[in-house]
Amino acid sequence: MSDAAVATTLFGAFMVATVALGLLAVRGRGSGGGLAEWSVGGRSLGAVFVWVLMAGEGYTSFSYLGAAGWGYNYGAPVLYVVAYMSCGYAIGYVVGPLLWSYARQHGLVSITDMVAHRYRRPWLGAAVAVLVTIFLLPYIQLQITGMGVVVSTISYGAVSLNWAYFIGFAVTTVFVVVSGLRGSAWVSVMKDLLVIVTLAFLAFYVPAHYFGGYGPFLDRLVEEKSAWLTLPGSGGSPYGGGWFATTTFLNALTVVIFPTTVAGYLGARSADALRRNAMWLPAYNVLLFVPMLLGMAALFVVPGLTGADSNLALFKLVVDSLPAWVVGIVGVAAALSSIVPMAVFMLVIGTMWGSSVLSLFPRWRASSQAQKAGSQVVVVVAGSVALVLTYAAPNTLVRLSLISYEGMAQLVPMLLVGLVWRRLSFVGAVSGLVVGVGVVCGLVFSGRDPVFGVNAGIVALAANLVVTLVVTYVRPADRDERPDEVVLARDPVGAAG
Amino acid sequence: MIKRPHLLWLLVPFVLYIGALPFVNRVEPVVFGLPFLFVWLLGATLLTPVATWLTWRGDQRIKRNQRIKRGQSPVRGRS
Repeated sequence: MSDAAVATTLFGAFMVATVALGLLAVRGRGSGGGLAEWSVGGRSLGAVFVWVLMAGEGYTSFSYLGAAGWGYNYGAPVLYVVAYMSCGYAIGYVVGPLLWSYARQHGLVSITDMVAHRYRRPWLGAAVAVLVTIFLLPYIQLQITGMGVVVSTISYGAVSLNWAYFIGFAVTTVFVVVSGLRGSAWVSVMKDLLVIVTLAFLAFYVPAHYFGGYGPFLDRLVEEKSAWLTLPGSGGSPYGGGWFATTTFLNALTVVIFPTTVAGYLGARSADALRRNAMWLPAYNVLLFVPMLLGMAALFVVPGLTGADSNLALFKLVVDSLPAWVVGIVGVAAALSSIVPMAVFMLVIGTMWGSSVLSLFPRWRASSQAQKAGSQVVVVVAGSVALVLTYAAPNTLVRLSLISYEGMAQLVPMLLVGLVWRRLSFVGAVSGLVVGVGVVCGLVFSGRDPVFGVNAGIVALAANLVVTLVVTYVRPADRDERPDEVVLARDPVGAAG
Repeated sequence: MIKRPHLLWLLVPFVLYIGALPFVNRVEPVVFGLPFLFVWLLGATLLTPVATWLTWRGDQRIKRNQRIKRGQSPVRGRS
């Protein structure tokens, strides 16, 4: 068999296995259970599944493509990913159980549900769901294109980009629609095994193959490429220490309320499962050093990559130095790193719409089964929109993706501060959110991110917080006669009496 | 917060990744061939689970005390 045939066959076999595994996950659970079974796995996942799922969300196709590309172009700044994930897991130790117990107590399945419950306005949940969907769609597209690039590279061009996009979409949609969060967790297990094995292998193989070991590789790096090894990195990079610090801080705050992270939280069986996870998840980040180092290794082997090509820094090395079957397996690991996060993104969009938007209409409000059916339709629609935009107008979503994370950060005051501070008023939270999102859009779309050397999102978050506080104090408090236990969230450790 | 002072351990990653940044953003000294910034960040990544574990241990102690106060066995699952 030719190289292309070997790699493509392997890839195809694993895709079939992925769908099968995803479908098997719900075997024996019947079609009962409604929205909560589908969207948060019936809140019954143990510590291991939650770990695998959340590690899987953190390790996306960006880790293979973007991280290596950033490493290649700039060097050290890309380590912000490791920094914010570690800090985020530490915050998650407190926030995870908080959100988990709030959702469990009131039967909520998404952050938009929580917002609607906290401020007692169902339409606010719907409005936030629309906003969050706009922020999430670019991520689905990023995963689709990431997977396309990987598959077409590892199949030595045998699978075209357009077909690869479609396969990614189809595989993901099938198992998400049928088995929801539980299916994603099962597929994550296979994905994590492959990712750990392939990256550990590449971490040793690539330096040995091209440089005769780690010693010579690192020596050359320090001697010839020292600009890459500190902030702000090489090539007139705008990503200096100030940017690194603010981005780490902002993203650490954001990742704990990111709707896909929250889906993982809510799937947990107990608050302790989440605390255990917060302890062990940072260990997974050690793996992120690998693609970044390999990206810098590519500087010596395939110099002169520019633009989008630099994202392929890692795969150029793999295709260049390894036999086809290994290339196929590395490709499968990278493809699954697109599929798992994409699955959870789509699931979260479906869940938000089912619980916060469709529930506004009497037709769906009646039963959890009907909401689940509606959510499944939304999943297919959201995935299709992302797929069509990938073909028709790829740049629209790329532009949107620039504001996604920083835009999502603007929900922190409304959600997190709101859940622990009773006085925070509805008008205050909404005003802050509007100002925050406005500032993000203004700065990013006018090309001012980083602004004055710091992350634009943190400037927007500061404005957001100030507006939220001022409006809350100037206007009279909301009239809400429900007791604190209903409105606010409590960490179960402190609350257990 | 006052009841759970051990939550302060969770600030450790912020100090390591953000607070220390101005002092560790350098290539020298090279440790086992790795530039210093990378060594530092790798160390921070390995120390974060330790800090979180210390928090966890504090919480477990609180829970044990609560169970004893309620007159239950300090070990979960037996009552």
